[in-house]
Formats: sequence, C-alpha cells, structure tokens
Amino acid sequence: MTNYGLVIDQERCIGCQACAVSCKQENNVPMGQYWNRVLTEGGDKIDTPAGGYPEDGQEGSLDMKYQPTACQHCENAPCVKVCPVNATYTRDDGIVEIDYDKCIGCRYCMAACPYNARVFNWDEPEHMPEEGTGDVSARPQGVVEKCTFCSHRVDEGLDPACVVNCPADARIFGDLDEETSTVSKYIDKYETNQLLEDRGTNPKTHYIRGEMSPGRPQTSDKLESELDDVTPFSDGADDVPSDPDGSGGDGASGGHHSIDDDAVPHVPSVKSGGAD
Amino acid sequence: MDDPQQPKLTPLPEWEAETARILDGVDYDADLGMRMARDAIRVSNGEMTDAEFHEKYHEEVLAEFGEDERPTKPEGFEDE
Repeated sequence: MTNYGLVIDQERCIGCQACAVSCKQENNVPMGQYWNRVLTEGGDKIDTPAGGYPEDGQEGSLDMKYQPTACQHCENAPCVKVCPVNATYTRDDGIVEIDYDKCIGCRYCMAACPYNARVFNWDEPEHMPEEGTGDVSARPQGVVEKCTFCSHRVDEGLDPACVVNCPADARIFGDLDEETSTVSKYIDKYETNQLLEDRGTNPKTHYIRGEMSPGRPQTSDKLESELDDVTPFSDGADDVPSDPDGSGGDGASGGHHSIDDDAVPHVPSVKSGGAD
Repeated sequence: MDDPQQPKLTPLPEWEAETARILDGVDYDADLGMRMARDAIRVSNGEMTDAEFHEKYHEEVLAEFGEDERPTKPEGFEDE
C-alpha cells in the first residue's frame, strides 16, 4: 500500500523560503498564515545566527541551521485521535488531511500537534489577490488548516509544490513503503532523523543531516510513482541513467548534480528538441 | 515566534503554556482539550491504548460535542 513521505536534506536547504512561498501560492493560504516555513536554529530570532563576529582580534563565529517545518503527517497522529467529529483523518496513502466541512474549530488538534503545524482561521481569510491563488479553494473562517502534502497534486500524479519549487533539490517526495523509491533509499543510506522522535508520532517527514545527499533535480512536474511509463532508458524506477544524454563524461558534467548509484533522478533528461 | 499562528517546534517544557494559548477563548471546553491533547501524545508513544483513550473521554466528548466520531473507537464499543 502506498505510504507517502518526505525527505528533507538539511545539508542542502539554503533557507530561501521558496517552499514556504510556493506552498502559500499553491494552496491559497490566507494572508498572515503559513502551512510551511523554514525556521532557523541559531539566535533568538528567526534568521539570526548564534555567536558573533570576530572583532578587534577576538575570536568569534556565527552559527545557524535551517529547519524546514510543516505538518509531519504522523503515522500515530495525535491530532487525528482527538478530533471529536473526525474532521482530521488519515487517508489510505498516509496523508493526514482535514475535512473543512466537518471541522468545528475546537482547536483540540492544534493543542495535540507536537509540531505546532496547524493554523486557525480566526478571521475571514484574506487573500492577495482577492480571488485567491493556486488550485485549492479558500477555507472558511473558524476552521483549522494545514499542509496536505499537496494532496490535490498528488492525486493528479504530481509532486507537492514545495518539492517541485525547491531550488536546492533538498526535498524528495515518494512512497516510504516502496523499497526502490528515492525516499526509501535515502532514509536507508543517509543519517536521518524525525522531529521529536520520543513522542512516538512516527512522522513521515525525515530529515537528512551530516552528509549531503546528491539531491534529485526536479526537471519535470511528475510524481515519482508515475515515472515508469515515461522513462525511455529504464524499465524500473531503481535504475539510474549513467549517461542519459549520450554525451559521455562522468554524469556530473552535464548537470548541476553528481548522481550516485543510489539516487533516482526525478525524471529523465528532456530529449533535445522537447518542450520545456 | 510566540505567535500561535506560526508553525514552529514546540519546546517540551513550554507545552502547557503553548497549549493554553492555543485553546484560549475556544468555544468548547479548553480543559478537556488540554487533557485530551496530553493523553493523545501518550497514545502515540505507547503509554495508553486507543481503546483506553477512547473510553476515558467518550462521555465527556459526547456531552461537549453531542457526538464522538474519533477513530479510536474500539471494536464493539457501544455508544450511550
């Protein structure tokens, strides 16, 4: 059975907030609210480092790490267990979603979420432009909302907007139950952690830290599970094109990544002359 | 960073204060929400079963919301 999850390589994340912006755009998130954002670990405020500049010959160093955060789509989701009207539920593919028609705005789910990943529409949602953005209708005042892994896109065979729009290739989406999926391979190969693991929620978002992954270029708007039918040089998702463009070389010369044998490119290189 | 509208990692020692802020002014029983949230985490980490959680709060949820559609309902559990 499909069990969608996300891998975020924190060694690749450059804190550009493109994921936050594309999420807001794609999901028509109201002004003043965020489903997805990049927090920083460092100084007292966001985007401020800890430490200080070396001055007057003194020692000094600055330190800051990026922490992309959104709904973790927990397997043992406390938010799902507390919802008295079953508005928050887990789909068969593992995505935790909210039925906004059922939500009564009790905010119990917000209290139960260890990641503070949910937001509440205190007021009538305000959008810019007024007609809204993206492909998701506005949620009414008085309901809780949050990241859906862009389920409307996933249902269409597309990756979440934050994945497609990450310029650092730091985000990879796929089926955690499929051994040959890139997310599974990365979790197996790299040192990954989940947020607040001691709470037993078993989030489906895994973070790589310590060693940078090769990443996976997002060269097309296509979900990984849909790739078998379109890969011209492979009959399996676990095959890696060693020389997809026929140019020879070491595989790193034609693109901006060096892809090792364990990495699955998001989609094959576009054939020459193809629409871009 | 103290804005409850902003997703962030909730430091464990600050959980109670954060939760109280989230539920402040809610139209429903904030104390019930606080207790259920705490126990829902216990269910997640295995200290409590779904069935125990469901039975513990069933009557209160029913009284507060007029229904109890939580997915934790054990098989054979009879509603009042």
